[in-house]
Amino acid sequence: MNTIALVQFLQRGKPEGKESMTLTLDQAAQATRKRPPRLPRKRRSQAGLKYGFAFVAPFAVLYLVFVLYPVLQAAQMSFFDWDLLGSVREFIGLENYERMLWGVDIQWSITNLFWWRIGVLALVAVLLVGPIKRRHISVWSVAGVLGLLGVFVALGFAPGKDGYWYDPTFWIALQNTLLFTAISTPIIALLGLVMALALQGQRRGSRWYQMAFFLPYILPVSVVTLIWTYFLSPGQGLLAQILTPLGIDPIPWLSDSNTALTAVIITTIWWTVGFNLVMFAAGLQDVDKSLYEAASLDGAGPWRKFVSVTLPGIRHVILLVMVMQAIASFQVFGQVNIMTGGGPGTSTEVLIRHIYQTGFRDFELGYASAMSLFLFALMLIVSVVQMRFLGKDDTK
Amino acid sequence: MSPPPTRKTSAAAPGLVAARHTATRATWWHLAMIVAALVWLLPMLWMLSLALSDNATLSQGVTGLIPRDFTLDNVFGVFSVGLTSRWFLNSAIVAIVTTVLTVLLCAMAGYAFARIEFPGRTFVYATVLAGLMIPKEAMFIPLFTMVADAEMHNTYAALVLPRIAAPLGVFLMTQFFSKIPLEMEEAARVDGAGPWRTFFSIMLPLATPGMFALGIFTFVQTWNDYLWPLVSATKSEMFTITTGLASLQGNFAQATELGSLMARGLVGSLPLLIIFLLFQRHLIRGISMTSGGK
Repeated sequence: MNTIALVQFLQRGKPEGKESMTLTLDQAAQATRKRPPRLPRKRRSQAGLKYGFAFVAPFAVLYLVFVLYPVLQAAQMSFFDWDLLGSVREFIGLENYERMLWGVDIQWSITNLFWWRIGVLALVAVLLVGPIKRRHISVWSVAGVLGLLGVFVALGFAPGKDGYWYDPTFWIALQNTLLFTAISTPIIALLGLVMALALQGQRRGSRWYQMAFFLPYILPVSVVTLIWTYFLSPGQGLLAQILTPLGIDPIPWLSDSNTALTAVIITTIWWTVGFNLVMFAAGLQDVDKSLYEAASLDGAGPWRKFVSVTLPGIRHVILLVMVMQAIASFQVFGQVNIMTGGGPGTSTEVLIRHIYQTGFRDFELGYASAMSLFLFALMLIVSVVQMRFLGKDDTK
Repeated sequence: MSPPPTRKTSAAAPGLVAARHTATRATWWHLAMIVAALVWLLPMLWMLSLALSDNATLSQGVTGLIPRDFTLDNVFGVFSVGLTSRWFLNSAIVAIVTTVLTVLLCAMAGYAFARIEFPGRTFVYATVLAGLMIPKEAMFIPLFTMVADAEMHNTYAALVLPRIAAPLGVFLMTQFFSKIPLEMEEAARVDGAGPWRTFFSIMLPLATPGMFALGIFTFVQTWNDYLWPLVSATKSEMFTITTGLASLQGNFAQATELGSLMARGLVGSLPLLIIFLLFQRHLIRGISMTSGGK
């Protein structure tokens, strides 16, 4: 979850931040060094070894077995035709990946997904503006631009006449997952920020309002879907009853393929905004109060203060919320599985659900593993890229 | 939701006009916030109303914010009909065991990373942090085959064990322990306490706030977990309340038992609501901690 700390740790061996975001390892090591030696050096390090491993061992064993090993296992399984029922386990090399990504008679054309790809090119241009202005091109901006150009090229592939993807559902699920992430992440982050700003300051009662907005976050996903499936129901739902007097006909949210994804997104926003509200509220408290006073003395209005003091002050929180929310959105499953079952048709099919179905309905664990790894790689790339481009000024 | 703080401002301010201005602004703010909070909670209030309504009346298709033919039968019926009480028990066992073990193991590992110097520490810690990047949700297929090979499906162990290995917990506890002053530990050592004793009688009590926050966060997450219990428990007796409720939503005919369905949802979230009301600060603290702040 906390990718920021990790990325910083791996980059520089030590964490970012003034006092809060400390990785503590260096601090602790320093502190240990400062301490007067109580034992001869050799004996002390032996004791350290003994107790260090004794304290870490219980966790480390579970961690190796249940976190690290599954990743290796997934990598191995993805090269096999691996049947859930155990009858077939045959090495097939990259066939699972080919089946996932390729098809029959796939062609490249400049017009496929034209506007989306124009958008990607525009993003490349935006990314180039900064480095060119500063006349400083880093490895990361080159990698980012090349990556996006890769996306531009990849989006040009489509089945030609009489052609088809080997697994069309994979592409639909990928598209829906990306769409879900692209729409819900900014809305949830923005709404969370707006709510946190509205509750900012030590006004009496603001804690109660914060609790009210946070409350849905603690509900299990099946309770959230229970509430919203019926809340949105055109027949008995409360929403329809509220809207009918206003002259709006009941909308069959979940049974119409045009609105089903929207309904899932609305549900998700209601469910998870409270988490981000709390993160933003914590971030806002850390903004240096004297900066606001200084800005007031300079005659800055509320908007100016927001742009010049608040936004830079909570930059790292915005980044963290976006990354965490995006990663969580890639893993969307529960709402979809319970509310729509991926339907109507395939309009709300998402990647985890497709993996789940492939594994447990079709019993093809090897192929499901290949898709799991694809999703993992996707999440990794998104978080690292986001860290680099959004967190850039932070690391200076 | 307290009344707007008008008295204090108007009494204290020398400029009466300015004071009145602030007072009206505060009133409007509270009004807006109350409306917003009520709108936000509307779906939950409606659920409550349905849970307290008579099933037969609901089947006629009329619902509203005020319970129809108020009854507590649905709520009491939750435990007498079907498997809901079993699921509730499963969830309680899994969530409590997971929470206790997670907090204990993460605290031990965190203490070692923060305070004990041992060769390879940096490497091991970096390996643990790398685990933050591995999403369990995307890795359930290999986990499933592992558990299947060990013939552990439909057991509590299968529901609990994969959840305990939480790198995030270790990260948080390492941070927490490294902020505790060294003197405390020194004093214990001078008195002749060994590392285990130092840890259990000095350091653990000092780390209580961090452990509390991590524990509540873990409890809520475990109670709400959906995908892994869905994959690892196939017998309906081993469902947790979360997967059980999800399975009911598919089976129940449209609205015949709407009231009792909502009552099940209400009871299923009850422990979380209670925890939320009692330990709201700790939960929020846990979330702020995941962001690395405070």
